Amino acid sequence: MTNTLGMNYLASLSRFVPEVLASITMLGLLVIEASFSNRSKQIKARVVYGFATTGLVVTILALVENLQLPTSQIFYGSISIDTFSSSMKLIATISTLGVIYLSSFSKEIYSFLKTEFVVMAIGVLIGCMLLASANNFLTLYLGVETLSILSYVLASFKKVDERSNEAGLKYVLYGGFTAGIMLFGISHIFGVVGSIGYAEVAAKLGLMGNMDKLILIPSFILFFAGLGYKISCVPFHMWTPDVYEGSPTPVTAFFSLVPKFGGLVALMKISILIGVGQNVVSITWIGLLSLVAALTMSVGNISALGQKSVKRMLAYSSIAHAGNMILAIVVLKDGLNALVFYAITYTLMTLVAFYIVSIIHDKYGSDHFDRFNGLITRNPAMAIAFTIILFSLAGLPPFGGFIAKFNIISIIVKKSYYTLAVIAVLNSVISLYYYLRLVRLMIFKQSEDISEISGFNFSRQTVVAMMTLTVVILGLFWNNLFDYLSRTVASY
Amino acid sequence: MSHLLDWILWMPALGLLGVLLIPKDKVTFIRFWTLANTLVTFILTILLYSNFDSEVAGIQERFYVAIPWIQQFNIYYRLGVDGIALPMIILTGMLFFICVLSSWSISKSVKAYFALFLMLETSVMGVFLSLDFFLFYVFWEVMLIPMFFLIGIWGGENKEYAAVKFFLYTFAGSVLMLVGLIALYFASGQNEDSFNIIALQGGHFTDMTVNLFGSQWSFAHLFFVLMFIGFAIKVPIFPFHTWLPHAHVQAPTAVSVILAGVLLKMGTYGFLRISFPIFPEAAVYFRQWIAVLGLVNVIYGAFCAMAQSDVKKLVAYSSVSHMGFVMLGLSAMTVQGTNGAVLQMFNHGTSTAMMFLLIGILYERSHHRWIVKPDGTKGFSGLYTQLPIYSIVFIIAMFASMGLPGLSGFISEALIFLGIYKEFTTITVLALLGLLIGAAYLLWMFKRMFFGEVLDEEKKYTDMNMREVFYMAPLCIAVIVFGIFPAPILNIMKASVGGLVSLMAKYH
Repeated sequence: MTNTLGMNYLASLSRFVPEVLASITMLGLLVIEASFSNRSKQIKARVVYGFATTGLVVTILALVENLQLPTSQIFYGSISIDTFSSSMKLIATISTLGVIYLSSFSKEIYSFLKTEFVVMAIGVLIGCMLLASANNFLTLYLGVETLSILSYVLASFKKVDERSNEAGLKYVLYGGFTAGIMLFGISHIFGVVGSIGYAEVAAKLGLMGNMDKLILIPSFILFFAGLGYKISCVPFHMWTPDVYEGSPTPVTAFFSLVPKFGGLVALMKISILIGVGQNVVSITWIGLLSLVAALTMSVGNISALGQKSVKRMLAYSSIAHAGNMILAIVVLKDGLNALVFYAITYTLMTLVAFYIVSIIHDKYGSDHFDRFNGLITRNPAMAIAFTIILFSLAGLPPFGGFIAKFNIISIIVKKSYYTLAVIAVLNSVISLYYYLRLVRLMIFKQSEDISEISGFNFSRQTVVAMMTLTVVILGLFWNNLFDYLSRTVASY
Repeated sequence: MSHLLDWILWMPALGLLGVLLIPKDKVTFIRFWTLANTLVTFILTILLYSNFDSEVAGIQERFYVAIPWIQQFNIYYRLGVDGIALPMIILTGMLFFICVLSSWSISKSVKAYFALFLMLETSVMGVFLSLDFFLFYVFWEVMLIPMFFLIGIWGGENKEYAAVKFFLYTFAGSVLMLVGLIALYFASGQNEDSFNIIALQGGHFTDMTVNLFGSQWSFAHLFFVLMFIGFAIKVPIFPFHTWLPHAHVQAPTAVSVILAGVLLKMGTYGFLRISFPIFPEAAVYFRQWIAVLGLVNVIYGAFCAMAQSDVKKLVAYSSVSHMGFVMLGLSAMTVQGTNGAVLQMFNHGTSTAMMFLLIGILYERSHHRWIVKPDGTKGFSGLYTQLPIYSIVFIIAMFASMGLPGLSGFISEALIFLGIYKEFTTITVLALLGLLIGAAYLLWMFKRMFFGEVLDEEKKYTDMNMREVFYMAPLCIAVIVFGIFPAPILNIMKASVGGLVSLMAKYH
């Protein structure tokens, strides 16, 4: 599994290229920001976005390169570069790129703060990469904190808006608190086991008797609080709707993607180590995950039912989707490819949904459900794309969202978690209800306002159309992608 | 010949592409295009009938298609036809053609209407043709999307509520089926044939057990019940029927026809194709409960129909009652009973389609459907004098649906009762009572609407025009011909039904 790179800093760097490239992009942007005068705003924006895009595309290429290589542990075993984390980092980078594109036209990101937004987003991405690649609890904590601190700033990005400030404050308070709890859990694990490396902890755990292990259960639960908070799973989800609603739309889109992916990868990696076998820790851990998955799906979906703001509805639905992805973690290694597949479709669907919500929000200054009335007559292309995406989010064939759910449900049925499977499918019925509410407004209702939706220009239409088409294609011809994931990711 | 099923399945989809290419304002062209397309599909189904070998039990080799689709999960694009599916396919082909004619008067976004209509036809055909469980499921679900929009955009006053309710109910049923089909896939060893509906059949899962909540359950019983709920919602079987009156009443005429004529049969077709042959032991185990539920449907549906003052709602509830007869026939698990059930599926498809079409024709003239208006005054009266041709067609449809000898409904109901009498005598006697109530509500409705004084507002009603006569004619002929001479349908399904019944007999 491991190779000798672990001891050599220079050799380690060769596998750390994506993170380095992302950092260079981030730092380069700061230089660019400072070197332009205030008069050349247009050119500055172009340079900033051009540089960020190039940087992230190069990062993506480096990640693709990493996908081909066997697992290796670098920097004295504190970071592990493997196909699973590389693929999730790849998805996170693409998500970041998608969100940066969204920020370029969103009016909610003030034009003089656009560079800052891009810098922060890439910073969060670096934190997410660190979190995903972490191979010991301290690196994990470092990743969580990098991710969090910049997220707090992002949440309060609309600085003159009270709600955005409130969102930022709430995020800081909750985040600081859970980070503390998590650190306490980690220190307890260290106290008992005497090590912070994932592999060492798992190895020591294997040697302990059941009674000795009992003492570790509270520490793992405390540790779970920190990750659960990042994934926003129940019962650590309370902050999500307020923060998601208060934050500017691009930030909300970003929060429902990148931090979740980082948290999910870390959770999966740790679950694979401590969840195997039949002992008191693993049974508790898997039981906990099952319970959390079922609760996350149900609470997310039920809370989404009564929402009046589309952004808030999407926030709750993203909680439910996180629950679906935790289901893949319940079955440990067998769920790897299903989880990555879900993340891919979820990214595409979420980005399209937020693009459209953002365009509507920019036009009306609100994303209340009523704003979507009669969208089919005002902008048919937008309404049809959104309808497809909403159906896909609900898990209807022949769209990608269905296949993503199918993969996860099939793996949990294979492992005989029938009750969880039934809860999961019934949850997609609940979710269909609130997605249909929006479809109903868009297509059946007449709107009083028949003015054009100006923000939806040709390039944005192309992007939305391409992503929607990908969602449809993933629903019909998913053989190749799934096959590829089974070969690469599942070998982790 | 080997691609005939492909053509039947994808012909409407080709038509859909065509509709999308035609500019929005060329309304007449869109109508004729769709009409021609559905006619071609109908002719193809007739061609399938004429090439069908009625001696072969089970799937016909010569039409069978199997192409790998998702190798990872052994999912195939697998189409085939047997004597149980064929009547349904012909019914689908015929009803869609007729419904295009009856939709001529639709004037609101014609292009979208016919596009969705053709999408619906492909997905319905897909359900009846596919032999791969995954493919079956995809078509089963895809069908909901056009139905949702067809009810929600072109429906009556309360259309949105009806559309959402229909969508959610059916979706809830089908996701349970999804869990079942995945469980079957893993239980059968994840091999080449694990999504092959035909290979799954034969009771391979009888002895398997599942550990749930700390105790052992029979795999077959557990998943039979799970899938039963999925199909029962579609049929619909009491107590899952509450979506039906709303959806039927609010849907535009053509969609009500498809809903009652074809979509309800997908539920019972699911029992015949999937639940019963895959879990024969469980089906036998639960059969008296199925019979009881069927009986409840018959009686409850009939009484509900009697209480209605909206004639469309009355016919909707009569469908609940008639689908109860199908369930009774299925629960008998005898040759006559199953033959009767399949024949009843076809006959109910034609007779109820006639009823809904006739109500649609009347509605275009009156713009209401009240037998008795909410304020207590008469909604219709003396239609017989005002609309003679209409009344004659209505009488044929009504008597066919009532099960009068000489018309199609009689033969299938008689077969069902012959089949079930020895198995469940009490239930049979009670179900015969349902037949009586059925006659009562239909005749009472007829008396109130067609006899008596002609109302003033009815004076301006015109009788059926040529187009309406033209599309009612094939259904009238079908109802009369199959009432006297049901052999053409009974012959094609004889061998396949025999195979199913002998499989079930092993577990009796």
